Amino acid sequence: MSVTVATAPPESPVDIASLVAGYGAAPGTYDELIAPDNSIRPQWRRVLGAFGAMSAADRTQARETARRLLQENGVTYVAQEDVERRSRPWQLDLFPLIISQAEWRALEVGLIQRARLLNAILGDLYGPQRLLKEGALPPALVFGNPEFLRACHGLAVPNDVHLHFLAFDLGRLEGGQWVILGDRTHAPSGAGYALENRIVASRCLPDLFGLDNVQRLAGFFRAFSENFLQLARRDEPLAVVLSPGPTKANYFEHAYLARYLGYPVVEGFDLTVRDDRLYLKTVEGLKPVDLVLRRLESELCDPLELRTDSFYGVPGLVQAAREGQVAIANALGSGLVENEALVSFMPDLCRFLLGEDLRIPGIPTWWCGRLAARNHVLASLERMVVRKAFTPRSITGPAQDTFVGPLLAQADREKLALHIMRQGYAYIGQDVVSLSTTPVWRDGNGLRPGAMTIRVYLAATADGYRVMPGGMARVATSTDARGHWHEPTDLSKDTWVLSDGPVEHRSMFTQGHHAVRLRRGGRDLPSRSADNLFWFGRYAERCEGAVRLMRSLVTRLAGEATPSARPVTLDRLVSLLVMQEHLSQRRAKRAIDGGIRAVESEMWTILFDPEISDGLARILSNVRRTAELVRELLSADTWQIIKEMSEVSDTWKLTPGQEVGDALHLLNRLIQHLAALNGMVMENMTRGYGWRFLDMGRRLERVRHATKLARDLTVRGDPESDGALDLLLELADSSMTYRTRYRAAPVLAAVLDLLLADESNPRSTMFQLGAIEDHLSTLHQAQGEEVLSPAQRAIIGLRADVRLADMMQLSDPGAKGSARVNLERLLRRTEKGCFDLSDLIGSTYFSHSTLQRVFGPHWTEAAEAAA
Amino acid sequence: MIYNVSHRTAFEYEQSVLVSHHLLHLSPRPVPRQNVPQASIAIEPAPTVRTEGLDFFGNPVTHVAVQVPHQTLVVNAQFRAEILAPEPLPLARSRPWEEVAETAALARGNEAVEASQYVFDSPYVATGDETYEFGRRCFPPGRPVLDGAMDLTEVIFREFKYQGGVTDVSTPVTEVLATRRGVCQDFAHLQIACLRSLGVPARYISGYLLTHAPEGKEKLVGSDATHAWVSVWCPDLGWVDFDPTNRVIPKDEHITLAWGRDYGDVSPINGFMFGGGSHKIVVGVDVRSVAWS
Repeated sequence: MSVTVATAPPESPVDIASLVAGYGAAPGTYDELIAPDNSIRPQWRRVLGAFGAMSAADRTQARETARRLLQENGVTYVAQEDVERRSRPWQLDLFPLIISQAEWRALEVGLIQRARLLNAILGDLYGPQRLLKEGALPPALVFGNPEFLRACHGLAVPNDVHLHFLAFDLGRLEGGQWVILGDRTHAPSGAGYALENRIVASRCLPDLFGLDNVQRLAGFFRAFSENFLQLARRDEPLAVVLSPGPTKANYFEHAYLARYLGYPVVEGFDLTVRDDRLYLKTVEGLKPVDLVLRRLESELCDPLELRTDSFYGVPGLVQAAREGQVAIANALGSGLVENEALVSFMPDLCRFLLGEDLRIPGIPTWWCGRLAARNHVLASLERMVVRKAFTPRSITGPAQDTFVGPLLAQADREKLALHIMRQGYAYIGQDVVSLSTTPVWRDGNGLRPGAMTIRVYLAATADGYRVMPGGMARVATSTDARGHWHEPTDLSKDTWVLSDGPVEHRSMFTQGHHAVRLRRGGRDLPSRSADNLFWFGRYAERCEGAVRLMRSLVTRLAGEATPSARPVTLDRLVSLLVMQEHLSQRRAKRAIDGGIRAVESEMWTILFDPEISDGLARILSNVRRTAELVRELLSADTWQIIKEMSEVSDTWKLTPGQEVGDALHLLNRLIQHLAALNGMVMENMTRGYGWRFLDMGRRLERVRHATKLARDLTVRGDPESDGALDLLLELADSSMTYRTRYRAAPVLAAVLDLLLADESNPRSTMFQLGAIEDHLSTLHQAQGEEVLSPAQRAIIGLRADVRLADMMQLSDPGAKGSARVNLERLLRRTEKGCFDLSDLIGSTYFSHSTLQRVFGPHWTEAAEAAA
Repeated sequence: MIYNVSHRTAFEYEQSVLVSHHLLHLSPRPVPRQNVPQASIAIEPAPTVRTEGLDFFGNPVTHVAVQVPHQTLVVNAQFRAEILAPEPLPLARSRPWEEVAETAALARGNEAVEASQYVFDSPYVATGDETYEFGRRCFPPGRPVLDGAMDLTEVIFREFKYQGGVTDVSTPVTEVLATRRGVCQDFAHLQIACLRSLGVPARYISGYLLTHAPEGKEKLVGSDATHAWVSVWCPDLGWVDFDPTNRVIPKDEHITLAWGRDYGDVSPINGFMFGGGSHKIVVGVDVRSVAWS
């Protein structure tokens, strides 16, 4: 094929040959960059020129920016082989893979054919099964495959499209021929990472990206979404991304795609089936769901009819799909055609179903269910890769195995041969192929060849299948071209498909349909998200309260409080720590007995020891954990603040001789982060239901915290003279307000009025309760209810209680030295009221009931059967 | 024989259940030699959605959603079945097991295709070296497949102890093989696993068994139980049932409800609900012979 380079390289006289001087493509392999005659393939020249024009400093900065962006955006993944499922940072090799338009066009035709073919195979196997009846496909490849979901047989799918979004793993062999290494049809992952790679690569290498006519990705996703939304039976459909949740692999990507497409990300728990229709449980009640973009394995989607030991799915989903009430992408059971054992049948299947010759071959594969193939594999075991043909889906059995022939011990090879002879259908053998290499910029210096595979994505659109012009390339850091023996490497690359003409710049959010969807976004708040936001609000506020308390205590301990603040007694200080649950009674007593040094040491432990259960590190990790659960609802900036805040704890250590200055520095930093977080939430979060739940959580926690402080500091003793009121005002961030209002030393009745009843003080209890009442009534109206809800009744009662309180009377100690009993009662009532209110909000808006299963029979009795 | 069968299952929940979904395999499928003139399933409270259909294996299946708050759910299945005993089978004249395995593997023709789906591992039946070795004891080279199947039936009956409460549905076959204890379901799964290890198609049958009162005593109502046994495929003779729990080839006292690859395909009741707290299940099965045919 001939590719013309549209214009000359950029002005700077860069010697691109010198860039690739030490490149060293391995002889005998196909290299993407260097042709066999040692020339640079034309499609690379301009990018390489621009790359060469970058100074060493520019390059370093580009790499550094990429690393930072990926880290800041929290791009993580979980490697398949990692049994502990730890998140790892995503690895991007910035230097892109370049593919010319002509080559891509040829590839596209073959990929689209394969997508049509796989869809047709699914249509047949989940329908008339002509392939089995007419002998075109051995039944073992269907019935022996756990991905064949019997409950979905005969289930009609909209427009006969089973595969809406699929991927192929491609490789290139020595002769330059592309081959399919794998079909990904159930819920292909990686598209979100491909998007992120593109965003990072184009930002970090603007000179390279801007230079070339690189085809954009957004149009592909838009075409997919438009077509998908049209499958619904209603005009304003609700589409969701069904995910196994944040604790599972690749949740990052589920949330990423959900945001990109404008669909809420939900878990099975958020959905319910009524009247054979799928609904989302939202804070406004049940909302019908029309479309499900499935990121959960098919077999886990409905425990009633599919895998009964799964609690991720939605009971009744299969029935809803059967009744045509919901369209699922990809259709349930689509994983059936991912199977590698099908590879050798593809040419025949293509002729049988499409009447065409297969354009892109798979890698040579032998399915041992057939005698000739089995004998071939048995005879070539020492040079083949053998795999179980089917991933076992046994509820009770062991996991899948791959056997790399050349690496097997003789005894293991013999055992494998025995198993292949016994149950041939369960095994495939594959030749080891040598893949092409492409430039890897791994050490930041020069380019080196690394073996590569590309995952490319296709979507069903109104005009048939369409290929995403790009893809996620993965490269081995070694030149071992046979890298696909093992798990793919961790290193990815963006793929740039060139365009001969100018490319269209389109974003995802330009079309009318999406504008409508985005408006709805704030209203379809899943109950679970509301729950998580509420708790995120509570933990963030709890964190702020704790940090302010500790800061005040540290300054007093060190005698560094502002001149106006009088020192408080050690007893008071320690009892506050106990009250706020940072210190146990036992440890508190020991500390007081030990004097000021012992108290100081306890303080340091709470602040700096990450192991302690009620310390600052734990409080911060609670904020982080709950934020992670609602990450898709937080802006990138908000997330960034939370991330930095929670990482503050990584930088400190509990070391002897800690100084007050260290502690204050730490606490001040945290207070700044918290202020930034509050600012983000107040100023930048849309006033949807999500914000209301977050705000209710914060305010409820603030009242709880303030009430406890007031109880500890004002009920007993003489707070006016022992510094307790100064401390209380400081902790409630109301010292300035008090001073400007009264211009005198704090008096108990006045302090109580300002902190409890004064509705104009944004830190007062009444102010918080008022805001909560406002949220509750808005939510209640949204549900279309007329009478007051139990939560509304509770908040009205709480407010009246505080408003009716007589502060003068409450602050009177009565008989000399005794406690202010009525004040204590009021504060306890308020505290309990907050506790009850939290429960009421939970039972009204959050769905806490867990899914359970009943089944029968059980043969637990010795039911002696007669013969 | 003609039987009236009633199978009543009552679920009691600690707390109210808002919505429950159940899938019922409680209507007997039509089977050669088994005629079902009448069958019904009554559910209380009345389901909001009820759909009757056939599952992939051709078993009648009832899909039920109860959408009114309920603390109890009663499923009452009743039917009449007329069963003819089969002619005695020439076990020793059936095809050698290797031929049966080969026919199933080649899967030529509709019957073989249909049978071939019962040679693969299924969610509750995993084969392995252990099941292969155990099965081979009864299947020396060239042995007629039904002869071997009967032998395997007797071996399981002889070497395994019927004991309730030591296993549950998710107990792996290998564990049953190791502990030599279990209930009818375990024995059926084990026998199926052994046969499939050799490539012989075998399926799981869910049903009922007529039980007899001890001599001189009245049979108690509701004292019967659901039962499970296996069926083995042989190209000439079709599917032949074996009951390893009782060491018999079922005649006219086994009533077939449904069949599938294993228990999971034909569980009489599979239900899911949100909430409910803890639950209690009361099951009463009654099999009455009403007349001799």
